[in-house]
Amino acid sequence: MKVRTHRRTGLDIGESATLSDLAFLLIIFFIVIAVFTVHKGFLLGLPEPGSTRIIPREELLQAELTASGELRSRGTPISTEELIRMAESLRKDRPNMTFLLKIDPETPYQRLVDIVDIVRRLDIDNFSFSMMEEHPQPNE
Amino acid sequence: MKVIRKKRRKPFVPISTMSDIAFLLLIFMMLISLIHYRREVPIQYPEAEHLTRTEGAKKLEIWIDRGGRFYVGGKEQALQEIEGLIADTIVQDPSTQIQILADRDTPYRNINALVEILKQLQHRVVSFVAREPQKDEYRNR
Repeated sequence: MKVRTHRRTGLDIGESATLSDLAFLLIIFFIVIAVFTVHKGFLLGLPEPGSTRIIPREELLQAELTASGELRSRGTPISTEELIRMAESLRKDRPNMTFLLKIDPETPYQRLVDIVDIVRRLDIDNFSFSMMEEHPQPNE
Repeated sequence: MKVIRKKRRKPFVPISTMSDIAFLLLIFMMLISLIHYRREVPIQYPEAEHLTRTEGAKKLEIWIDRGGRFYVGGKEQALQEIEGLIADTIVQDPSTQIQILADRDTPYRNINALVEILKQLQHRVVSFVAREPQKDEYRNR
C-alpha cells in the first residue's frame, strides 16, 4: 500500500510580512515606553549652606513674589513684562548681573516656575531665590 | 551520464508558531509595563515653556501635593523621613538626581523645606519638574 505523505503547509519566508509587522510594533512599543517616563523641567544648582557672595549693588536686580503671586520690585508691583525689560536693560550694561528673588512662603509654586522660565529665556546665569522670613506688611 | 539534480526545497516557516510568538510578546509587554509602573501622585503639573530634559541615570522622585504633603514611591512620608531617605540615596549613589514634582498650587514653603534639606546634605543639583503648556490651555501670564 502506498502511503501518501502530506506535505505540511507553511509560510514562504519571502512572504512573511507578519514578521516585519511584529518587529515594527516592538520598535513602536519601546519608543513609547522610553518617551513615557521622561521628565522635563529645570535643573538648578544649589549653593553651599551659609555661603555668601558679595555683589555690587549696581549689578543686582531684586524682585519679590507675594503670597498672591504678585511680582514686586522694591515694594512696587510690576508686571512680568516689566521685569523682563528691567532684566534686559540691566544685562545690557552689566553682563554679569545677578537676579535675586525673594519668595513669600505662601506663593504658589507655579509663580516660581514662571520666573525660572523667564530666567532661562533671558539666559541669566546668576539667579538666586530664597524664602522671605516674614510676610511683608501691606504698602511696604 | 545522467546528472541527478537535487530538488531545492523552498524555505519554510511554520505559521502555527506565530500565535505562540504573539502570546510571548504579549507576556513580555505586560512584564515591561509592570517594571515601568510608577506610583504617581495626582498633581497638577506647573507649566513652563523653556524646559530641558531632566533625566538622570538614577533618580529619586519626591512628590508634593497641593496640601504640602510629601510622597516617595506613592507613599506619604514625613519631612524627617524624606531627609533620611535622601541621605541614604546620596550615600549609595552620589550622582542620583533629586526630582521635585510639586503641584502648581503648592505653597513655596514646602518646596523650600526640601531645598534646604538638599543644601544641608551638600547635594548640589535639584530638578524642578514641569510640563510644556498645552496649546489651548496656556494662559498668558
